Amino acid sequence: MPNFICPSRRDVPLISDASLAALLAGAELPPGAAPELRPLAEALAELAGRPVGDELAGEANTLTAFREYFGASGPAHHVSRNRRPRPRGRRLPLTAAAAAATILGLGGLATAAYAGALPAGLQRLAHDIIGAPAVGAQPASRPSLPIPAASGQPSHGLCTAWAHAKAHGTRKQQAVAFSKLAAAAGGPGNATAYCTATAHSATPPSSRPARTPSHRSGKPTGLPTPRGSGKPTGLPSPRGSGKPTVLPTPRGSGKPTALPAPDNSGGATVHLTQRPARRS
Amino acid sequence: MIGEDFAELLAAAQEGNELAFSRLWRDGNAALLRYLRVTAPESAEDAAAETWLHVVRGLTSFSGDEQAWRAWLFTTARRRTIDEARRRSRRPQKALEEAPPGQVPASPDAADLAMEHIGTRSAMALVARLPPHQAEVILLRVVAGLDTATVAHLVGRTPGAVRVAAHRGLRRLAEILAEAGVTL
Repeated sequence: MPNFICPSRRDVPLISDASLAALLAGAELPPGAAPELRPLAEALAELAGRPVGDELAGEANTLTAFREYFGASGPAHHVSRNRRPRPRGRRLPLTAAAAAATILGLGGLATAAYAGALPAGLQRLAHDIIGAPAVGAQPASRPSLPIPAASGQPSHGLCTAWAHAKAHGTRKQQAVAFSKLAAAAGGPGNATAYCTATAHSATPPSSRPARTPSHRSGKPTGLPTPRGSGKPTGLPSPRGSGKPTVLPTPRGSGKPTALPAPDNSGGATVHLTQRPARRS
Repeated sequence: MIGEDFAELLAAAQEGNELAFSRLWRDGNAALLRYLRVTAPESAEDAAAETWLHVVRGLTSFSGDEQAWRAWLFTTARRRTIDEARRRSRRPQKALEEAPPGQVPASPDAADLAMEHIGTRSAMALVARLPPHQAEVILLRVVAGLDTATVAHLVGRTPGAVRVAAHRGLRRLAEILAEAGVTL
């Protein structure tokens, strides 16, 4: 029996790191731990253990408060209140890249962007990234063409793509690019006029220099940064894949995202300096 | 601790799912009470209830893993007890009646002793015999399940100081148990 009158500190062994960790976790002592530590390990395991006694007594009150704050219980019965909790999927702020992904991945928004119909912040973004009209500018006029449902293809992307294919592409690429353009323009004969009309209806170029991408087939192009944001974003290919192909940049990372290589049999990448057809 | 289901539970609770919130509450409330009943016994239940009210109001704005969640719970609770202690110290009549937090052992009353869960209450009484800082560190590590860095941030000391306090506290607890002749 230990000596009650003169408790000796020698009774207590030094606690090894492993034992320390186990004790603080309320867990079992490791093998080889000093047996004198066992009562302590048990006490701490109790401390860390499951609720007992009256420790669950206040639940009703708190649940009442929860119910009042969130409305009727269950996600199916969401009562609209002034302080309605935001849906969990939208709790992240809209980063530049995520906004771009949204705009470019959804045909409807792209339409809105070209009509200059987005809220000002988004419109500015669309202007920078895909050459949609600037805030307050005239909507981009174009023939009433059906936009391919999922691609959000800006019309003058086709023109640029074709111009690019003409300059750099193989015959096959040129042919495919032209045929797309022709389809959009409503006939081969309209292609040139279409591109001219699109060029004039778009906004004047910004002060950023037009950049020629070094286009190798199959590889994504590098992209200049959108105005002011400092974050390079990727752009989807113009092919109507139905999926947003932009990879959103994680917030704050400032890292450039790569363009996923589009199916390159004739599709071309949309260039950031999406002003009218390239000016020489 | 909830573990890998935590993210799902949190998300559901944030959308108003009462069952999910109840699960979170059950997991957290016992820990809160144990912490509070040692560090601020005279107002433990009130502080716990107020903590949960605060949490309900801030629930949809919270994002983080289970560590962060518990850190939030205990930071809130701690702040309540500090505020309450300040308030009480300003009321002269009460000053003599109430001991400062952390120095009142949570001595089990007869009813508690009769409970089968004497082990938990005894363990709390044991920790209550430590100097307040060591008691708090040990409770935050063991009961709240917070890691050293989080505890350090919460109590406003360095991680090194927290480690030292934990180690010293544990040694002292072992000594007390040895003195009391507690054996397996």
